[in-house]
Amino acid sequence: MIGNDIVDLDLARKESNWQRKGFLEKIFSLEEQYLIHNDSNPEIMVWNLWSRKEAAYKIFNRNTGISGYFPWRLNCSYEDLNSGTVIVSDFVFHTQTQITDSYVYSIAVSDIGLFNKISVLETLENIKKENRIPYTLDVTSNKMIPVSITHHGRFQKIITLK
Amino acid sequence: MSREAALEKLKDIVKPYVQNQEAFDSLTEETDFINDLRINSANLVDVILDIEEKFDIIIDNESMEKMVNVKAAISIIETELSKE
Repeated sequence: MIGNDIVDLDLARKESNWQRKGFLEKIFSLEEQYLIHNDSNPEIMVWNLWSRKEAAYKIFNRNTGISGYFPWRLNCSYEDLNSGTVIVSDFVFHTQTQITDSYVYSIAVSDIGLFNKISVLETLENIKKENRIPYTLDVTSNKMIPVSITHHGRFQKIITLK
Repeated sequence: MSREAALEKLKDIVKPYVQNQEAFDSLTEETDFINDLRINSANLVDVILDIEEKFDIIIDNESMEKMVNVKAAISIIETELSKE
């Protein structure tokens, strides 16, 4: 299973004041807050960890059917700027994060081997949805192939499995 | 505070974060913050912080987890207000 999440940094600066009192405490564990406060660029760390949690939540939600608002239960284990894991309940998801001047983009997978099988889709064509969860149908086997879509501000990313 | 009054106050709180005006205009207790009102998920934290400020209550993590739609938010607000 796969999940992705993008943050348009320009829009995030307009929409969110992460320095607001109480904001970080509602979303991040003490360890995560420590990473943010001790980073040379706390803003990027906020959205880096946030996008990992959101990408991982998409897998968790699809695997378990559980939905809710619990960013604090998705625990980031931070390896470096571009990689780590997110732990939630009994699940461990692997994440890869790409950071540019304009966006922060994370992909989460349920199995580390899936990173090599991810392919990018350019359009929403042929994507169907069931219970708001996107997928495509394999033309020969008629099997459902997972898709994850993320959209924020100027950016949209769609991924699927090869 | 009556349920109606709490609902009106809640509507004022969520209004600035709503990205689907049509869903906001026809808001009911079943309206979902993210899926219907298209509130950005990071802004849901702002909604929760605003609720804490404006109603002068504290929403713990367990309550926050359930706060996905209008009905759940009103119930949590009513429960917290009744503790005082």
